[in-house]
Amino acid sequence: MKKLIIARKFFQLLFLGLFIYVIWSTTYPLNSAISPKLLFRLDPLIMFFTSLSIRQWIEGVSFSIIIVAFTLIFGRYVCGWICPVGTINDIIGIVNKNKWVLSPGLNANIIKLKFYILFIVSFLAILGIQAAWLLDPIVIFARFVSLNLIPASTFVIDKAFAFAIKNFELYGEFYDFYRYLSKNLLGIKIYFFENSESSLSIFLAIAIFPLLIPRLWCRALCPLGALFGIFSRFSIFQRVVNKCTDCKKCLNTCRMQAIKEDISYKKNECVLCMDCVYVCPVEGTSFKFNNKKQHFNPAKSKGTISRREFLYILFVSLPSLGFVNKKNKIDITEYKNVIRPPGVNNEAKFINTCVRCGNCMKVCITSGLHPILLKSGIEALWTPQLVPEIGYCENNCTLCGEVCPTKAIPELKLEQKKKEKLGLAIIDESICYPHSQGKQCIVCEEHCPVSDKAIKLKDTTIKLKNVTMNNGEVIKLPYVDKDLCVGCGICQNKCPVRPIRAIRVKGKL
Amino acid sequence: MESEYKMNKLLYKLEAYLKMSVSRREFMKILIGGLVYFLSENQFLKFAFAKNSDAMPRVKKSIDCAHDLVAVKGLNSGKNVEKAIELLGGIEKFVKKGDVVLVKPNMAWDRSPEQAANTDPQVVATIVELCYKAGAKRVNVFDIPCNDDRRVYENSGIQKAAEEKGAKVYFADHWNVLKAKFPYKSAMEDWPIVRDAVVCDTFINVPVLKHHGLTGLTLSMKNLMGVCSGTRGLIHIDIAKKLVDLTDFINPDLTVIDATRVLTKNGPSGGSLKDVINLDTVIASTDPTLADTYACKLMKKDPMSVPYLKEAFERKFGKSNLEKSDIKELTI
Repeated sequence: MKKLIIARKFFQLLFLGLFIYVIWSTTYPLNSAISPKLLFRLDPLIMFFTSLSIRQWIEGVSFSIIIVAFTLIFGRYVCGWICPVGTINDIIGIVNKNKWVLSPGLNANIIKLKFYILFIVSFLAILGIQAAWLLDPIVIFARFVSLNLIPASTFVIDKAFAFAIKNFELYGEFYDFYRYLSKNLLGIKIYFFENSESSLSIFLAIAIFPLLIPRLWCRALCPLGALFGIFSRFSIFQRVVNKCTDCKKCLNTCRMQAIKEDISYKKNECVLCMDCVYVCPVEGTSFKFNNKKQHFNPAKSKGTISRREFLYILFVSLPSLGFVNKKNKIDITEYKNVIRPPGVNNEAKFINTCVRCGNCMKVCITSGLHPILLKSGIEALWTPQLVPEIGYCENNCTLCGEVCPTKAIPELKLEQKKKEKLGLAIIDESICYPHSQGKQCIVCEEHCPVSDKAIKLKDTTIKLKNVTMNNGEVIKLPYVDKDLCVGCGICQNKCPVRPIRAIRVKGKL
Repeated sequence: MESEYKMNKLLYKLEAYLKMSVSRREFMKILIGGLVYFLSENQFLKFAFAKNSDAMPRVKKSIDCAHDLVAVKGLNSGKNVEKAIELLGGIEKFVKKGDVVLVKPNMAWDRSPEQAANTDPQVVATIVELCYKAGAKRVNVFDIPCNDDRRVYENSGIQKAAEEKGAKVYFADHWNVLKAKFPYKSAMEDWPIVRDAVVCDTFINVPVLKHHGLTGLTLSMKNLMGVCSGTRGLIHIDIAKKLVDLTDFINPDLTVIDATRVLTKNGPSGGSLKDVINLDTVIASTDPTLADTYACKLMKKDPMSVPYLKEAFERKFGKSNLEKSDIKELTI
């Protein structure tokens, strides 16, 4: 019985399921047992470097320190037993029967890559730029689940039920079951997030790697793995080899290729997958709490980065200073087309604090928040913006602030949030029905949620040159009160003019 | 011998068929033909590109009531409804045993009951209870709200109140619609209308009386917009004709106007408690035009200033003369 491996697989699937469940339940009533913030607050990479780059203590840092503290005992247990991307790598790796074992020299080179990435991330954080979001596995997987997996599965479920109900006329109990499902379980109404395919491509790349080389992502690229790797050097839960026939089976089985030619192992590479314990023909391998040095060639089992290499990385990451200069030059008045979530007032700080986890987009009750590509510069990739034509900002809702793990979107009280200005609605008089054609239409006024309406109506006699039929009639012309308008975008969402809406919200940043 | 000959012929044909050389053009023809066949015979695609089926106007039940209109004033809105329907002749006149009933309240806005933008939950719950007492098989409650439906259903209090009495409260699906067909020329022709609003035995319209920027007042006819899918904003253009046509299409069997709390300004969404006054009245009638006219009188507004009522008078749609109608007023 491979007890330890069964236990590992059980925990891997448990945490994968838990992860998807937590993101799935990040929706309107927010009554799941686990807070969606917690997922990301346990991730030391994004928490620590976000905190460092904005020079501010974030609540979540203390959570993540606990995770790192356990690393001092157990090594990279997160990679092998918890991390969902690791689990996905292992699951896809099952298909790969002929595993490609890299030559020791090549392997030693590629495993350095992740340290390069980690050092660049930390170097940028010291300079005040948060870049951890780009390659953090937890965030990549969360984005995949929020923006791709859940909308796609909702699409399939919705369409299948609609097809069955309409085609076979199942308007009875079956329809009630579907209604229950869509009301209580699905929790999202759109099938596609704008620009989500770009964030999907990163996840797909990670998912394709293990078809060639097992756990290539964890070995070579993952900066979170590198962070755990540094701390796991001091771990006391170690691999101990008592007997060895020099068959080198473990060496070829190890998914991280952490075992060296002399059967000693690189502690900062081992993810405690426990494969080597069971593959050993003489059952001489085990994992134990052990302070002593290893039996075989202990002197050479150091970490993988030498001092010289460290200096080299430091030098290599100097070009990234280019980001800093660009940052200072940013003129915040040029962002007129991006509507940020409520409470975001400082664009530069928002971009730095946002970890692109996709929580706000998943939770947004009208599904109005979507990731942007390059609208606000490359450093703002995948940050959320409000797209009023898809969904507006609900006046009585504070969900996006409640789920943001780093408080990039501040957690506001409802009264405060209602006063928060997102932008300003502007009527395009050239296409607006009452203004251009003299037809009665007050849809924007009727939907305006501000209690003393921000869109007001003015009785006017029509005097239009082009239109003759309604001339002389008194109609109600809408106009926007700039002081009252909060820029929630419901007017743009409901405006009946197509294809371009006649009232549009401009972002304030 | 004969069978052998036939067999040989068949084999020969098969061989010829297998040896047949296919040019690129022929191959493409076969491919395209196969694709066309696949597309034309595929049930799923047929469904995906299918148009919604048509629906003729609902037929209104002919009901002889004790009065044309009943208005009951009292502090308990639930009791008001009970009394009003009792005075009309009892709920049994409208709901027969085994009927599927649709109760269509106005729950369009993410507001609490006190803010008076939605129908009073107590009124809806009482009607649901009455329907089940009369032996209804199933009572549906839904609306297509202007804000997000999850928030609206919960915050308006209607979902909780109606589900306690056993009603099925659900979100309307925009794919489950029928196209409206009119016997006369109408601007609402082909408008998608939720199936359950057309396919039901009894339609009870339960609007709330409140202010509206365009029509002055939101009444029973305006409330029927809640069963329309599609770009509803377009109904506001030439609203009078469209709403009368829509009322003619849906033909609600019973109209119960809730004037318990009335929003007098900043309608239809409201939001401020300052704009709300208490009238504590419930109006019940089988005639939507008459009910709306009476509600205008209650608000001391000229019915002719409400565009769709003016249109209804001109088309002689329903009764419009309050003096000639049999109106019963009661204060509890």
